[in-house]
Amino acid sequence: MAMLSALLPAPRNSRAGPWYLVLACLVVVVAVVSWSAPLFLTPGNLSNVAAQITPLVITAIGQTLVIITGGLDLSVGSLISLTTAIIVLDLPGWAMVLLAIAAAVTVGTVNGVGIAYLNVHPIIMTLASMSVVQGVALITRPVPGGTVPGWISGAVNESLFGLPAALVWIAVAIILAAFLIYRTRFGLHLFAIGGNPNSALMNGVRVRRNIVLTYILSSLFAMGAGFFLAGRIASGDANVGTVFGLDSITAVALGGTSLSGGVGSLVGTVLGSVLVGVIGNGMNLMNVSAFLQIVIKGALLLAVVSVQRRKQIGL
Amino acid sequence: MQTKLAKLGRSTLVAFAMMGATSAFAEEVSLMKGVIPREGDDRMTTADQFKKPGPWKIGMSHFGLSNTWTIQMAHDAEFEAKNNPNITDFLFRNADLNQTKQVADIEDLIAQGVDAIIITPLTPTSADAGIKKAVAAGIPVIVHTGLTDTEEYTVDIQGGGNYFGRVMGDFLVKQLGGKGNIWVLRGVPSHPEDINRYQGLVDAIKGTDIKIVSEDYGTWEYDGGKKLCEAFYLSNPDVQGIWSSGADMARACVDVFNQYGAEMPPISGEGNNGFFKFWRDNKLTSIAPEYGPEQGAAGVRAAVALLEGKPLHKRYVYNPEPITAETRDTYIREDLSDAYWFPTALSEEKKQEYYGLKK
Repeated sequence: MAMLSALLPAPRNSRAGPWYLVLACLVVVVAVVSWSAPLFLTPGNLSNVAAQITPLVITAIGQTLVIITGGLDLSVGSLISLTTAIIVLDLPGWAMVLLAIAAAVTVGTVNGVGIAYLNVHPIIMTLASMSVVQGVALITRPVPGGTVPGWISGAVNESLFGLPAALVWIAVAIILAAFLIYRTRFGLHLFAIGGNPNSALMNGVRVRRNIVLTYILSSLFAMGAGFFLAGRIASGDANVGTVFGLDSITAVALGGTSLSGGVGSLVGTVLGSVLVGVIGNGMNLMNVSAFLQIVIKGALLLAVVSVQRRKQIGL
Repeated sequence: MQTKLAKLGRSTLVAFAMMGATSAFAEEVSLMKGVIPREGDDRMTTADQFKKPGPWKIGMSHFGLSNTWTIQMAHDAEFEAKNNPNITDFLFRNADLNQTKQVADIEDLIAQGVDAIIITPLTPTSADAGIKKAVAAGIPVIVHTGLTDTEEYTVDIQGGGNYFGRVMGDFLVKQLGGKGNIWVLRGVPSHPEDINRYQGLVDAIKGTDIKIVSEDYGTWEYDGGKKLCEAFYLSNPDVQGIWSSGADMARACVDVFNQYGAEMPPISGEGNNGFFKFWRDNKLTSIAPEYGPEQGAAGVRAAVALLEGKPLHKRYVYNPEPITAETRDTYIREDLSDAYWFPTALSEEKKQEYYGLKK
């Protein structure tokens, strides 16, 4: 119950950001789509939507941790691609998993150390690592293909207790992140660092170590998304994650998390990701022209983000 | 007597076999000029296997409207669909070069209960899972302009990337007398079409003294091609031939040579109005393998044939003769813009609407 109340912070909680705006937007979009395309609410389609948004939800959750500290992680997309490339390597299951974890921890550590200890700007640092990781992914898997182990495909495409496996993946990611953000001192420190790193430091927060940890976690969540995606497309692809770098930032921003740090919520990020997925699916079902879809998505993002007036913490 | 009977029996069998062959020939569906059944693969759909009374709802998952060719291919498909009175809904989905969006688009089309799906895969990974789901749902799937790893589709129409690359490679081997330095402008990294076209080049120059001195990806765009050629010209100006993986990169490279006032070596091109005018006006030594946007219309024709119950081959190839300096001028349209590609299924009215130059 306490966890649920943490996931749904009070609208007046300034540290959580205006997550209720994206909720309102989602309600309107769902109502419009359901009215225009009755197919939308069928179990088959909702199951499709769940599978379509899962990699974005998982990646955006990791991105939220970084953005709350005032950072940004553009390398998550390349890491997703690299993970899918590693999964189809001809290795025993345990070795493949260890290699994927090692890759994620390495990328996260390099990002974190560069940003926290060498004072490289997060955009520059993660842009550079994005390029390096993309190159490694292309070297590892120059042509899309390969065979994904059956246990990964099963964990992605089967159902559990009648629910699509995608929902289980989302639930696990949310529980893990909610525990970290709302039930540990580390979570509290993230907001403190994002609000004012100098004040946090003077109050005994180990700012640099926490920033490094945050980037490692972001990479690990991206790795999780890579596992899901590999199971979904049943192959490795060195370019498959490309869009998730910017899309995850979009979902986080839609959810009311401040890109300058210190303000944000998990529920906002999850709702933001769902909104992105529902808009895409809904416009397809409503037969909106492919050209018009691009315009509507951009306009909606602009509208939602524009009405989110930023507040200083405590006001 | 027995011999006579045996002869009569054989003659009757031959006659029936010939009638059967004639009948099959009569039912052969023409999807597009230059598209023929793939040699060595005699798998076919059976008559009436996918027959369905109209009106039909046909879905198309396009890998992305990223350049003038891909847009015209989409126009060709839409035009063909609009002109068939039995197609009341043509649900076009643009994956925007995003693999995960293509997977989602195909799932959404299946959920919408389309009667047939046409897929132009971005990568094998973005289409395979969708193809399997559609086929499992009993929906015929037509694949073209992109490769898959699965063979579960109903009909596949492919312009051979390897053939495309080899035609251009053979041209350079001939022009250079089997010896010299070449630059290679590739498409998109890891894209199967680029890999196959490149392999065609490698096969063509194997055993010759032609050396690739510069090679990089220009993403099949004018801007990408120009950046590459500028960099190559500064690093390796001693070049006797240029192999371009197609699209809009060759024109950009010619611009770079003109900018430096250098003599243009032989360069491979593609079937585009802008490039053809450029080829003629700049007196280039070039060749253009044909890869028409009409493939978009061919996909719709295949879907219609299946829904009409006509048998189709499982696999078709599209390897037409290349366009040379001798045949080039018959294609050029002065009244249309540089963005116009050939061959196309568009009517004259549509050509003018989309590509007509303002007087």
